[in-house]
Amino acid sequence: MKRVTIGALVLLAACGGDASRPKTFSTDWLDDGGKSIAAVYQRLRNVTPEATSDVAVAVAGNADKIIGLPLSGGSPWMFSHAVDARPVVSGGVVVVSGGNEVVALDSKTGRKLWARPSGGAPLLGAGDDGRTTALTFSRAGSSTLLVVGRDGQVKQQIETPSSVGSPAVLGGVVFVPWSNQYVSALDAATGDELGRVVLRDKVTRAMSIGGSLYFGEVAYVRFDEKIPAASSGGASRVVIPSRELPGTPRLNAPGTEKVPAVAGARDRDRLFARPVASDRAGVSIDSGRFYASYFQIVMGFDAARGNLAWVHTHPSDVLGGEAISGGLAICDATGKIHVLDAKSGSHVAEKSFGEPIKSCVVHADTFRAPAPSSVGTNLSAQIQEALASREATLATAQRLLLRELATQSDASATKTLIDIASDPRAAPVLVTDARAAIASRRNGANHMLAALGRHYDYLKDVLASPPVGPIADALAAMKEGNAAPLLASHLLDPADTDDDVKRAAAALATLATKDELPALKQFFALYRASAETEDVALGVASAASAILRLDPKEGRALVEAAAKDPSTNEVVRARLEAMLAASPAAKPAGDAGAP
Amino acid sequence: MTMRQKTFLALALAGVLVPAAVSAQPKPAPAKPAAPAPAKDKKGDAKVDVAPIVQKLRSGDASQIREALDEARIAGPGGAAAAPAVAEVLGRGLPLPLTESAIETLADLEAEAGTPAIAPYVSHRNTKVRRSAVKALARTKGAGASAALRRALSDQDAVVRGNAASGLGALKAKDAVGDLFTALDHRVNEAASSIGQLCNPEQCERLAAKLGPLPFDVVTGGLEHVLFRPTTEVSDDLKVKVVGRIRELGTMEANKFLRDVQKRWPSGTSPRVRQAIDQAVMATSGGAK
Repeated sequence: MKRVTIGALVLLAACGGDASRPKTFSTDWLDDGGKSIAAVYQRLRNVTPEATSDVAVAVAGNADKIIGLPLSGGSPWMFSHAVDARPVVSGGVVVVSGGNEVVALDSKTGRKLWARPSGGAPLLGAGDDGRTTALTFSRAGSSTLLVVGRDGQVKQQIETPSSVGSPAVLGGVVFVPWSNQYVSALDAATGDELGRVVLRDKVTRAMSIGGSLYFGEVAYVRFDEKIPAASSGGASRVVIPSRELPGTPRLNAPGTEKVPAVAGARDRDRLFARPVASDRAGVSIDSGRFYASYFQIVMGFDAARGNLAWVHTHPSDVLGGEAISGGLAICDATGKIHVLDAKSGSHVAEKSFGEPIKSCVVHADTFRAPAPSSVGTNLSAQIQEALASREATLATAQRLLLRELATQSDASATKTLIDIASDPRAAPVLVTDARAAIASRRNGANHMLAALGRHYDYLKDVLASPPVGPIADALAAMKEGNAAPLLASHLLDPADTDDDVKRAAAALATLATKDELPALKQFFALYRASAETEDVALGVASAASAILRLDPKEGRALVEAAAKDPSTNEVVRARLEAMLAASPAAKPAGDAGAP
Repeated sequence: MTMRQKTFLALALAGVLVPAAVSAQPKPAPAKPAAPAPAKDKKGDAKVDVAPIVQKLRSGDASQIREALDEARIAGPGGAAAAPAVAEVLGRGLPLPLTESAIETLADLEAEAGTPAIAPYVSHRNTKVRRSAVKALARTKGAGASAALRRALSDQDAVVRGNAASGLGALKAKDAVGDLFTALDHRVNEAASSIGQLCNPEQCERLAAKLGPLPFDVVTGGLEHVLFRPTTEVSDDLKVKVVGRIRELGTMEANKFLRDVQKRWPSGTSPRVRQAIDQAVMATSGGAK
């Protein structure tokens, strides 16, 4: 470790001070059972951040412009500067890196507070408590911690071979996560390590959110009276439940990695959750909601069990945002910020940067989402809206939503599933999923019957058949007699798939009435000898079963003749023979009891 | 099988192919045996003794059925009496190769009796079978052929759609012109020719109005028919109008088409139309490409 105190004495003696304190970023430290961090907590227990930020900051132009937009009102501000990393908002400052320097701006006004040369080192993170700003940089094989006062004077510059993450500052103490497991508390004035805590979760970020300090990356560990018990799992900790999500979204980017100035694919695939101090558990997730974004789709989930609560379909890709009190703030490439209600996903506020943006960061210490003015649409309708998009990039999220929709009991969900399964523009994976879901539906029969009324028709521009097979399965399970004539018409539709024909015939084996006999017999005649696939052959056998049931005399003769005819398809013949053997013809009355 | 068909088959199997009413009369003893002239059907085709064909068709043996179908096809319209038996085996269902063969045989027999048996095959799952069925219906004609071909205009297969459109022209299915226009608008180009054969004056003008929006060759494929239809069907006034529409294009392809019509124009007929064609040829002779 190389430590330099600038503008003050070189504090070499710090290494030889209180024996209970660890040496700064020393790797020979043994877990002290929380003793040193407890002392730090005692020192800071009554300290609250002096500065707060409620601001959205965007990178705009050709990554040469920063726009700040106060969330609670006020005019946007603009600052022209090269940008090579995502700006960081903390305390009362916005830290911008680019053009071989790092600049601190007042988060409310955009006024330049100070600038320091960075030598082009990538900015990892920054923390600020209103008086002091701590910044971390990545260098080849090492990391640098820079502690800067409001006057722009560097108080500390500490270099370490360890991998450090994004820092936070509280009451003149700099909290630096490092080596993915430690958080060291350093005295901003001296650079001494006042205490250290080892966490059980991966930790690359120290964050000041809503007046509390948290450590983590995939989980949030609160800096409170329980922090000394962190190494034994006793700290106040909250994590969002694990559940299936589209893509591989991250709650936080690792604090050990530079976040690019311009939003990329990883920004379109995010998790959001806001930790909040709570009396009982020490920390919980604000509003009981966490959120996931996937391109244009944003989903709200129950933070306790991970159940889907709402879906918001955005007109364009979501580039970034943050969970705020009572909701979620998201921004898109058009430069709009939208605030969604935590409970319902309702759109409750909108702000604008005034121009298209490349990326954005939202930080809300005190800003709260307004309450929705009206009751929004229900989850089923929200899912249907999300599924209506034929944007190919959404297919992964839509698959997940489709499965969620399949659990909804309203008939309109059935209609949406049918629409997807019938749409030639829908992604094939969605069609497959929708077909599977339709077969399991036990409601929406009217929508199913309406769908069966449609056939491929080139001249009417109906270029896809409805999902006949799955509908047949569902209607047969529902014993829906009105389906019989419609299914019979599909037996004779060459545009339907072989699988659909097989399943339609199987449904007719139970649903058909005498009215369907002509169609059944026609189907039987057309394919009993010319079935080209096993599916169609099985369909013929099902048709025979219906014929036998509905027309025991002439129908039986027809089936018997086919069973004897060597030109009958082998699969069909075997089925017919088995069928006839299982239900022998009734003997003429005169034969009864004959020896 | 209908009673009429059953009766026919019974007679056919007995080798009796004279009309029932005649056979019921006592036969006069022939004065002198003379070489009998082969019986002919309405179209003038020599009648063929179809009893052996029918017997083979009813054998249930695939090779015999194939043989019978081949023989019936060779007989052509003269073997029309075999059509009900072919229709019967087709109606019961055959393996694919025999299905196609039976449909083609019925087409060659050109017997209306084949139409009801062929019509369901317009909806068969095998595309080749559907194509054969559509082509066959244009030849067997009869009730149901037009309806089946109109349905086939909506088929997934472009060849089926095209054959159906052509078939409707061959069937003179004037009530299908509306569907044919819809088909033409959906790029079933064969519809233009059929429309040209069937259109009434208003429809013919509608077809002429497609010059420009649709490819020249497609539309003139129909307008050619319009121009050469008898004046009892298409007036000279309308033909002059059509020539005028083509002339307005002023293109080389218009000139080429008009010159072709000019060459083939029957001498001495419709001098006004002839004059209009001559003038149009001259007017378009320097046509742009």
